[in-house]
Parts: sequence; C-alpha cells; structure tokens
Amino acid sequence: MDRTAKADNIHSDLVFGTATLALSAGYYLMAGRIPESQLADAIGPQGLPRTYALMLAALALVMIFRSLTVRLKPDTTSDSSVRGIRLQPDSSPRGIRLQPDSRSPIPRVAGMLAIGIIYIVVVPWLGYLLSLAGLIFATTYYQGGAVNRQVALVALSGAVFCWALFVLLMGIAQPPGFWPSLL
Amino acid sequence: MITALASIFTTAIGPAAFAGVAWGILGGALPGISPSITMALLLPFTYGMDPTVAIVLLASTYVGAEYGGSIPAILIRTPGTNAAAATVIDGYAMKEQGKAGEALGISLYSGFVGGLFGLIVLVLLTKPLSRLALAFTPTSYFALGVLGLSVIASVSGDSLIKGLMAGLLGLMIATVGTDPVTGLNRFTFGSPELLSGIPPILVMVGLFAIGELLAQSGEPGWQKADSASTRIRFPSPAMWRRLAKPQAIGSVMGTIEGIMPGGGGTISAFLAYNEARRWSHHQEEFGHGSPEGIAAPEAANNTVACTALVPMLSLGIPSSNSSAVLLSGFLMHGLMPGPMLFVKNPEVVNGLYAGLLAANLAMVILGYLIMTPCLWLVNRPKPYLMAFIYAFVVSGVYSIETSLFHIGLALGFGALGYAMRYFKVPFLPMVLGVVLGFMVESNYRRALALSGGDHLAFIRDPISGVLLGLATIFVIGSVVRHARERRPHNPQHSAP
Repeated sequence: MDRTAKADNIHSDLVFGTATLALSAGYYLMAGRIPESQLADAIGPQGLPRTYALMLAALALVMIFRSLTVRLKPDTTSDSSVRGIRLQPDSSPRGIRLQPDSRSPIPRVAGMLAIGIIYIVVVPWLGYLLSLAGLIFATTYYQGGAVNRQVALVALSGAVFCWALFVLLMGIAQPPGFWPSLL
Repeated sequence: MITALASIFTTAIGPAAFAGVAWGILGGALPGISPSITMALLLPFTYGMDPTVAIVLLASTYVGAEYGGSIPAILIRTPGTNAAAATVIDGYAMKEQGKAGEALGISLYSGFVGGLFGLIVLVLLTKPLSRLALAFTPTSYFALGVLGLSVIASVSGDSLIKGLMAGLLGLMIATVGTDPVTGLNRFTFGSPELLSGIPPILVMVGLFAIGELLAQSGEPGWQKADSASTRIRFPSPAMWRRLAKPQAIGSVMGTIEGIMPGGGGTISAFLAYNEARRWSHHQEEFGHGSPEGIAAPEAANNTVACTALVPMLSLGIPSSNSSAVLLSGFLMHGLMPGPMLFVKNPEVVNGLYAGLLAANLAMVILGYLIMTPCLWLVNRPKPYLMAFIYAFVVSGVYSIETSLFHIGLALGFGALGYAMRYFKVPFLPMVLGVVLGFMVESNYRRALALSGGDHLAFIRDPISGVLLGLATIFVIGSVVRHARERRPHNPQHSAP
C-alpha cells in the first residue's frame, strides 16, 4: 500500500470512528428515554441497547485512538506516476481499483438518492406509471445517457413493462395517482 | 424424499427452479451484480408466493448466478461474480485461442457436477444436525445466537474492529420496534411503521442492491462481448475423464469452504484452482487455457451454492452474503431456519432439496439456451441497466407491504451500504446482527427469567455450554489469526 493510500485509510478510519462514537452516544441517550415498565424483567427493555451502545463507543474510541497514533513511514518506494491517483473506496465487489480522482463520489451518490426520494414524493400524485418512467429517464440521464426521444421511449416502455409485471401479472397494487379522480 | 422429488413436477417448485436459475444466470452475467445482489433484487417479488416456492426461487437464483458469473469471465475477462475471478485465468485464455464455446461448456458441466455433489452433502449433513431440535430451550437458543454472532470474528475481513462495530450496529437495528418482553416501543420515533421493527429484507435490499447501485454510479461501463461466434460445446468423453480429478478437488474445496463461516465461493475457487494445478499432469497448461483450470473453480463455487446452506438451514447461521439473503427470505415468510425448521416445516426443507436438484438440471438446460439473451443483456448500455435495476428495486420494495415508507427505509440502508463500502466496513457482520439480534435478546431474557437471574444456567445447560464453548474457541481463533496477520513482516525472513 503506498503512503497516500495509507493516509486515506487512516483518515477514513478516523471519520468512521468519530461518526460511530456520536451514533453510540445518541443511541445510549435514546435508550435511557425508554419508559420503565412494571412488567420489566431484570434486564429491562433498556438493558441490552445500553450495553450495545457502550460496546460500540469503546470500539469507536479504540479506532479513533489507533488512527491518531499511527505514524506514516516515509515512502521510499512510491512511484511518482501514481501521484494524483488515489485508491477508490471498495466500490465493486471485486475490490479496490485504481481510478483518477477527478470527481467526488458524494454528489453523484446524493443525486441517485435524490432521484429515489423525488420518486417517493411524486408517486402518490403522478401515479406509478409516470413516476417510474420519470425515474428511469432521470437515472439514465444521470448515468451519462443522452436526453432524446429514444431515452424517453425506453423509459416509458420500461414503466409500462413494470406496470404489466407488477399490477397485471402479479396483482400487486401500485399507487394510481390522481388519474382515477379525473374519471 | 420421493414425495419431494415428485413435487418438482406436481407443484410450482420445478418452474420456480427454472425461473430462479434463469434470473440468476442473467444477474450473475452482469459484472458487479453478485449472487447476493441478484437474490436481493428478487426478494420482494417472492412476498406473496407460497413459502416453499419462494425459497426454491431464491436458492435457484444462487445456483444460476454462480454459473452466470463465468460467462463474462470467459468472454470479456471480467468476472460476473467474485467467485468467477479464478475462472478468468484459463477461461479467457481459451477464448483467445478460439475455444470460448469449449470453455463455457466445461464451466457449465463442472458447475453441474459441483452442484450435485454439494446437494448430496447438504442432504447428508443437515439432517443429523436437526436432531438436536427437540432438546433446545431458550438457554440453548441464546447460545446458538451467540455462536452465530461469533462468526463475525471470521467474516470481518481485514479489520476485526470494523467487523465488530458492524455487528453491533446490526444488533442496534434489531432493537427497533416492540420490546420482546414488556411490549414497550423502542426507537420507533412515534412511527407506526416501525412498531414491528425493521424487516431484514429492507436491510438486505438496501445494503446489497441499492448500495451497489450507488457504488456503480459513475463507474465506467464494461467491455462488450462478441456474441457472433459463441456457442456452448460440451466436453468430449476423453475430456470428461480428464476433468474428473479437478472437479473432485473443486467439490471437496467447495464443501469445506461452504460449511465454514466466511469461506464462500471466491476462496474455494482459488483454493481449488491451486490444488488442481498442484495435482495436474498438465501443470504447464495452467494460465494458458487449461480446461482443468476452469473445471476446478467452477465445481468449487457451485458446490458452495449448496453447502453454504448447511449452517444456515440447520443452525440458522448464514455463513455468506447469499445465504444471509436466503435467510431473509425465510424470515419474510415466517420461517425460522434452525433446529425447529425440520420439525415444524419439513415440507419446506424437502421442497428446497428437490428444488436444488431441479435447479442444477435447469442450469444445464438454461445455460445452453439462455446464452443469446444473456449476451444481449451484457451488451446493453450501462445507464439503461442501472435505471431498470433502480425501477425494479423501488417497485419490488413497495410491493412488500405497499408502503412508500419502506422505499425510504431501503434508500436509507442503501446510503448506509454505500458508506460502509466507502469506509471498507464488511456487510455480513451487520446482517448477522440484524437477523440474530431478536433471537439473542428475547431468549437471553427469557432464559434469565426462567433461571431466576442466574447466569450460570447458560453453562449448566449442556447444549448451551457446548455452543458457548465453541463460540469462545471460534472468537479466540479468529482474534489470534487477525493478530498474526497484522504482525509486521520481518524483512530478514522474507529475503530470498
């Protein structure tokens, strides 16, 4: 592992440790708010959640401590040709791969999640067919597809295919939207 | 057993096995879509099905995906699944020599042999383990859950701490909902949708399917396959004889690694490849298009597709991501894998055995027939494929309980899955925590109530004592192994 990649790992361990420490603290506090019950056993409904939170906090502290105390040795073997390239997170099941660090992954992941959230918001009004066509169209575009009639046609056909599969074939109701009220 | 075999033809088990294998081959053939993701995508569709048919459909998907992964491995030097990585070495070399059809035929035939071997092992091993069923008490169930959680130590990958943290996060997720003893609400934030807890299926679909979708976002597309000259050719009788030894090696490796927690298809495939080369009379061919170099790993990873179900069916402990998704399918249908499954639902177990036999037969037939649509799918533009997978996921998750809230939860777990990939935190410990959390907590508290708060009851109970002892040995062994691996390498010893 080259020095840059090792530094990235240490940094990500520090961030992960801090985030889980905050999470364990919040979880512990919420566990304390679970009301007492007269039916409660010796352990009680708060018992194990509090134990889990304390164990997680202890592990998070170990991770933070290790991240802060580890020293990077000067890298004498690193090849200058790999500078500017960093190890991407384990984005594929085949493991780590080298890729130019040209674009932060957070906005593109957030964009994909936003498409899903917008789908949840609009589907009660627009209905399944149109919303799903929109989701397919937006995802295709966001993943590098063009905006043209062909993509729109594929999105609409895909939505019709899914509607036929779920609603007609499997008999599973999907949100109809406001369309039935117009009839 | 005869009734179970007849059920292939008299019930929907046969068609489910064929459908599952077809879906598995298609999913496995798509680079980046692992067997567990292929299964997770299918999971919501099985909600309204008969439980046995649903389980057969999911298990057959696993079988099909293990073969499907070898198709792009041989044709475009990109393994469709992790386990097919070893097949790339000689499979692609054979393709370069104009023998892609032979390579695919060897892969299919060896997968069939490995699958049948794995099925025999599954049937022989799960039954004796199930005989413990009637002696289990809450104390033993708690110990069984702890044994399951001890697997975390061996499936944590490079970092034991991260594995333990993921396991604890899974246990925390399992506490959401109604308390098993008092009935009080915990961590529900006033939401009625959370009263019955977070269904493991949403965690699986989120972590595996949506998380992978997010991770694949922005990644470059894969190479196109040449579909014009690819026709499967089955091995000649002389080749059959030559392949017998590597297939036997692969089957044995697949059995050992499948049963061991954290083993899985990838490790077994590479071990089988190495052993096949060691015992081969044609060692010089390995790496340059050796048929044995395809037969051994393919037999191994298809054996694992069956043997990985041994600890899952008999003890309720998933030993791999794919068996964890299958376990989620059981839970979704109100079935609890483990000792009592053989007592309460023997028809599901027998149906699964019959379904796996049908799936292995289906793999040979469909492996031949489905090649053309498979190549068509692999050659589709990646943005379209991702958009359709997204559409299937949101539609499927909604179908479970017709709840938009569930889609939101699955998206949340997808984001968590992406973050876990980013921070290199393993999934399986979290999945173990989610599926075993309720069992551990409810039986721990029940056992203590029955023993009047005496913790020594867990050691006095013979089954519990043995299981807790095994868990302790398992954890210590894994910690020692991790410590050895982390020890700084002494350059003096490594010098040639």
